[in-house]
Amino acid sequence: MIEAALPGAEVEVVDETGAGDHLRATVRATQFEGLSRIDQHRLVKAAVRARFDDGQIHALSVKTQPR
Amino acid sequence: MADAELKSKVEELIAGNPVLLFMKGTPEAPRCGFSMRVVQVLDTMDVEYGAIDVLPALQPLREVTAEIADWQTFPQLYVNGELLGGADIVEEMFESGELAEALGVEQPAAAPQAAPPAQSPPLQIE
Repeated sequence: MIEAALPGAEVEVVDETGAGDHLRATVRATQFEGLSRIDQHRLVKAAVRARFDDGQIHALSVKTQPR
Repeated sequence: MADAELKSKVEELIAGNPVLLFMKGTPEAPRCGFSMRVVQVLDTMDVEYGAIDVLPALQPLREVTAEIADWQTFPQLYVNGELLGGADIVEEMFESGELAEALGVEQPAAAPQAAPPAQSPPLQIE
């Protein structure tokens, strides 16, 4: 989902509890260049919002880096 | 659509407090691990901050912050009227020294004190 929203992004997702609903995502994307951290996170969260809305994800830690 | 009265109260609070944390619970008794992490970071900085417990009005406040800052999860740390971020961003900015810069204070020498987790780990049923 993140890769679809941010073409070319490198995404690494770790399932922190083994239950698939508490995830940690590291995202590197050229689209982050020049954006504040909060704006970088907004892009990632917007990409996965549907999974929060349908309850499949409860918690997502995000780390973003421009690449 | 957020409650207009609540929204204007929140906007006043953000404008009136240079460092303002919306969190679950209180700094003395955080009710969520992410909120606790931000409190720990702020407590290592020599800075006064206001804290608001969002739990009594969680859903209305989500709607308000979604409109104000395009952000619905808590904690949220506002500095000089701008949303800086939640726990992940605050910790990253602390480690890089950007948080001290944003707050206008010296970077503390010590790392935030790791407190014991407020919740037990998830219980497994075999």
